[in-house]
Amino acid sequence: MANVLDLRRRIRSVKNTRQITKAMKMVSAAKLRRAQEHALQARPYAQMLASVLNSVVRRSDLYNEEIGEITHPLLMEREEKNVLVIVIAGDKGFAGGFNANIGKAAQRFIAARRAMGQNIDLEPIGKKAIALYKKSIPMAVYEHKVELYDNDLARHIEDIRHRAAPVEIAAEHPAMLIKADISEVAELTDSIIARYGREEIDSVYIVYNEFKSVISQRVVVEKLLPIRKLGSHETTVMEEMTEEQKEATAKAARESGVPVTLPGDAASEQEARKFQAAKVDYIFEESPDRIFRFLMPRYVTTQIYHALLESIAAEHAARMTATDAATKNAGELIDQLSLTMNRVRQAAITKEIIEIVSGAAAL
Amino acid sequence: MTEVGTNAGLLTVRLVAPDRVLLDATAESVELPSISGYMETLYGAAPLLAELGSGEVRLHGGSAGEQVFFVAWGCAEVLPERVTILAEVAMPLREIDIEQARAELRHGSELWDQAGDDPEKYDSANAIMCVAEAKLTSASESAGETWQH
Repeated sequence: MANVLDLRRRIRSVKNTRQITKAMKMVSAAKLRRAQEHALQARPYAQMLASVLNSVVRRSDLYNEEIGEITHPLLMEREEKNVLVIVIAGDKGFAGGFNANIGKAAQRFIAARRAMGQNIDLEPIGKKAIALYKKSIPMAVYEHKVELYDNDLARHIEDIRHRAAPVEIAAEHPAMLIKADISEVAELTDSIIARYGREEIDSVYIVYNEFKSVISQRVVVEKLLPIRKLGSHETTVMEEMTEEQKEATAKAARESGVPVTLPGDAASEQEARKFQAAKVDYIFEESPDRIFRFLMPRYVTTQIYHALLESIAAEHAARMTATDAATKNAGELIDQLSLTMNRVRQAAITKEIIEIVSGAAAL
Repeated sequence: MTEVGTNAGLLTVRLVAPDRVLLDATAESVELPSISGYMETLYGAAPLLAELGSGEVRLHGGSAGEQVFFVAWGCAEVLPERVTILAEVAMPLREIDIEQARAELRHGSELWDQAGDDPEKYDSANAIMCVAEAKLTSASESAGETWQH
């Protein structure tokens, strides 16, 4: 049996750990609050953009009256042979099952698509997502071709893709989560739309942790391209929170003063309606077509940006819950160890008394 | 903020950037940098949808007072009683980082040099340079104004 000194050391060490996890929980709670706010503030733009696009759609020359659909390349469906999967996970661990759940969901989706004979391109965002695939999946190889013509006065530059394996990593984004800067997302969108345009990929999906509020989160696969309906998210739920998880997260949030529910759907919808385009006949400064073409890539950007912001909030929420559980466990461990230590100490005292008593009795 | 309708003659102006709502106030008139040139809207204008270039949004009168914002790319919806500006880049003039704008300008001209024969690359390089130049112009103008004061 351990002696009192060892137990005392152990208790001190667990207490230190508890301090650290407690501090981590407070930090995550503060970051979560900021991330939630950020995600809320980004909603009006997305809402307004979708609404302007919807009102422009019918006025655009791209609108085909016969089939009642618009003939923009980003809206056209074609056979999915090559699928791009964007996987958003976190930059750091210590967030419970956050990263693992996203990895599992992505794996399930990839396996299902592979079974249908489709090729997969992966585009992980966040260090943990990159680490998932780094070792096992090869990077895509592009040949940077520069052709000179007209007596070397003009150049033709092209990146040609040579696919070597059915599953490849198209690009990695290790730093995108740090600043969550929309201009970086816009660059990513440009690159995706370019690849989509030259038919290197036929559809785009995004795997991330959706975050409606602290207690309403799920891992989803969302279809990004082609767009089926403007302003709506086409998602498949891969994993939902269990009641236990919800309870633990809500408890951790309440303790650190993070709002458990965000402004309800009704309130946020009302707020968003302020940003909806009116149903009137506009005078167009430029052709509706031009506006539509200009706004479409922006729409895709906001979809990715939205996923990124929600995933960041979800990561902080997961870390807050995990560190809260760790703090609680450390507390329990300290109680247990204290009890054992007291018992050991008491046993030693009792033993000494017995020795003295039996010594006295023997006299 | 007073309800729309109770302040006749005033436009409700909203300036929305991808990551935040910069402004939600009333004004007597708004100047907008549409892609084909500046325009000014007053209360009661006919519904209009315009693409934005890069430049300054200026508000006059109303609860907003005299305010100037730098905006680039996006669109503006003008209705008789409200104006909603969706801008990809939007910031108050004082937030313009001159060093960063200069760096963007250099980056743009580098992209221009490397564009080869791809018209789209020229367009995107041009767009970057346009924004950077507009930022520098706005920043120097606002610096000039404070100087005069």
